[in-house]
Amino acid sequence: MQMVRSLYDDFLRTFSNVLFAVCLFIVWGLFTLVGVVVEQGKDASAYFGAYDAPIARLILRLNADNIYHTPYYVGIIGLILLSLAVCTFKRVIPARLPPLRPVKIDKIPLNASVTVRGDEASVRRRIEQFFGSRGWQVRKREFGGTEWTFADKHNWARRGVLVAHVGFVIIAAGTTLYWARGFDGETAIVAGQTSDIPKANATIRLDKFSYKVQPILTKSGMVYQPIDYVSHVTVAGRDGIPKRKTVRVNHPIDIGGTLFYQSSYGFAMRFGVTHDGVRVPALSDRVYMTGDSLQIPGTQRTVEFAQFVPTVDRQTGQPSADPRINDPAVALDVSDAGQALGAALVPMHTWIDLGGGWRVTPREYLFVSGIQYRNDPGVPLVGIGAFVLLAGLVISFYLLPARLYVRVDANEHANAWTVGLAATTVKGYDMFETQFRELVAEFERSMRPPGPTANLTLAEATS
Amino acid sequence: MISTHPMPLDEVLMIIALCAYVVGALALLAYFFSREEWLKHLGIPLAIAGCVAQFAQLVARFEITHIWPLLNLYGSLSLFAAMSVAIFIVFAFRYKMWFAGGFVLAIAALFLAYGVTWNEGTMPAVPSLQSYWAKIHVPLVVSSYAAFLVAFVLSCLYLAKYYYERSLGPQTAGLRTAAATAPGQVDLGSMQSTMVLTAPLVSKDTPNIAAAAASGNAMALWLNGLPSLAQIDVLIYRVVAVGLPLLTLGIITGAMWAHEAWGAYWQFDPKETAALLSWIVYAIYMHLHTRNSWRGARSAWVSVFGFLSIMFCYFGVNIWISGMHSYKM
Ligand code: HEM
Repeated sequence: MQMVRSLYDDFLRTFSNVLFAVCLFIVWGLFTLVGVVVEQGKDASAYFGAYDAPIARLILRLNADNIYHTPYYVGIIGLILLSLAVCTFKRVIPARLPPLRPVKIDKIPLNASVTVRGDEASVRRRIEQFFGSRGWQVRKREFGGTEWTFADKHNWARRGVLVAHVGFVIIAAGTTLYWARGFDGETAIVAGQTSDIPKANATIRLDKFSYKVQPILTKSGMVYQPIDYVSHVTVAGRDGIPKRKTVRVNHPIDIGGTLFYQSSYGFAMRFGVTHDGVRVPALSDRVYMTGDSLQIPGTQRTVEFAQFVPTVDRQTGQPSADPRINDPAVALDVSDAGQALGAALVPMHTWIDLGGGWRVTPREYLFVSGIQYRNDPGVPLVGIGAFVLLAGLVISFYLLPARLYVRVDANEHANAWTVGLAATTVKGYDMFETQFRELVAEFERSMRPPGPTANLTLAEATS
Repeated sequence: MISTHPMPLDEVLMIIALCAYVVGALALLAYFFSREEWLKHLGIPLAIAGCVAQFAQLVARFEITHIWPLLNLYGSLSLFAAMSVAIFIVFAFRYKMWFAGGFVLAIAALFLAYGVTWNEGTMPAVPSLQSYWAKIHVPLVVSSYAAFLVAFVLSCLYLAKYYYERSLGPQTAGLRTAAATAPGQVDLGSMQSTMVLTAPLVSKDTPNIAAAAASGNAMALWLNGLPSLAQIDVLIYRVVAVGLPLLTLGIITGAMWAHEAWGAYWQFDPKETAALLSWIVYAIYMHLHTRNSWRGARSAWVSVFGFLSIMFCYFGVNIWISGMHSYKM
């Protein structure tokens, strides 16, 4: 029991320590750095291509190729949250809301004493007025027969740190909600076809796709700058009622809470396939996506649709960088029994002879729109959390909660009082030093009696 | 026959800004070393003129091309330089920190000159960048970088003073000496009240430098002209306190934009995560700064690392690592 207790105490002590939190932050930062430097989500071969074999193996073994979803990345954020929770209750709340207690004024580095003349009651009243009129919250307490005045500025802002910490927790909650309940995916829809997305209870038909590219001559050569990608679609949600919509980059559509985004585009093909001049409908009516293969019946020959080339450079006969459709062609890879026979760039409406009377003609290209979808029930929470976090940062950085301790003691002179002032803040003393000096100087000035003071006697000054 | 092409207004303004920064930097650096007030009075208007010329340049470019000018490294570096100088000017007026002006202006001029090499002419934005978020997110993020640049300069000055103090003798840097915390009598020349105010906490935290300066050591003289270490530390904190909320807001608006453009507010794109990395470094700074024993040299080092991480986020990721924010073709 004793051991459990002491372990528990150690846990509380460690997890509430800011330096421990800083260590967690450092580890979080290092993991994140790995994620920035090592390209994420590539094939194993990509890492062996980019790094020496031992490093590539290490990357794969440590899952550094997908670091943000590893147990240790998620774990470090979990530890930060745990530390934050422990620290909030154990340290932040008690330290941030200190009780009103007397202090040893001259032991506090920011201290001053001002001699003020007058009767005690009026001196106390003037002190109260001085701080009250400058927005300080004044409270009085008696300790051992001595009355203390406490003046607080921005007392409520002591909770700024709590607000920032809570913001982070809300963001974490929103992210978790997505992992628990959200989904996402991608669908490639060929023009004229319909894609069914059961998870989202939605169907989406691509009526038309278009894109716009602008050629620009820059100092480093011709650049084909994409300007617009647009999908005209007909969608139906849970109610089954079809609606016409337009999806373009930066303008997603919402179907029953799932958002659909324009994410990419490509081309599908229809080929005219003939055998001894006779059209073969089964192969000719099919739509081929990039990477699909066409198996020639009765042979071991396959033709793979490798790529659609929108413009062939007339001079070189090679694919050009121009993504606009001018002189389109299709890159085909031909193989026999798994052995590559060669690649060919076949202009549209021309044919390639595959032997044995077989011919393949690129007949029609079709646009394919890549649509990404995502249903994330955590978004509102993450949004709220982000702004709470921001508000917390602003409160804790810009509003400095300070407390003044004011004690009035009898002076060796009759009818004179020594007003001892000390200040503490949640951010140490240096941060408040200038303001404290200005405040004390102002206090001293205001405690002087009004009028031409230089030669007034005390009685005159206060009467 | 010589054909003359009048230079476009935005390029003229860019040259004016660059010249103003270079001459202003020289004047303020000379002020740092000599403390001649006239040099400061020369440097201040040049800094302001350069900054104004830069903002005018951005507006002129927008007017001429009708394309939001911040979507390439040329435009964004231009805003970065302008905001660094603007934030510095505000702080310098508020906290009398012209001593750092030469360094800030010199670095701003370097970035601006580097930005000019990225001027590829005018290009319309690719579809993902055609969003009103570009007008919100980019200025916020770039302004946060600018604030961190100012914090970086102050941190370097802090560290220079701190380590020089240590090199001169017993390790007193950053410590408040007994003399510094003992109360001193302030004579207010008044019969009615006297005030005893703690002597400045911070004025004597580098006694070795003060002593060396008194004996004419040039380096000590320069460093002694700086505010105390504790005061510089407070300045660094205040500038980071501008940068961190801006960076946070920048990341938030970036996430909102990503949510709209790519379907997910966070995709672990290298740029996003590099910005998160910088955010983590400055969160470390803020947490260390809550501790007395870590405030000062250690937190200044974190601020230096923070700025290096910002530079990595800004250039390293854009130039070397491909991703959605890449300038790599
Ligand atoms: C990513 C999450 C976190 C954020 C955004 C955050 C934010 C902040 C902010 C803005 C401050 C105020 C700094 C200042 O006033 O200069 C602060 C202070 C503090 N934070 Fe955090 N923090 C986080 C995580 C943590 C964790 C995990 C701990 C656990 C130990 C922690 C403990 C503290 C403490 C003890 C303070 C100082 C409180 C005081 O001065 O009384 N924070 N935090």
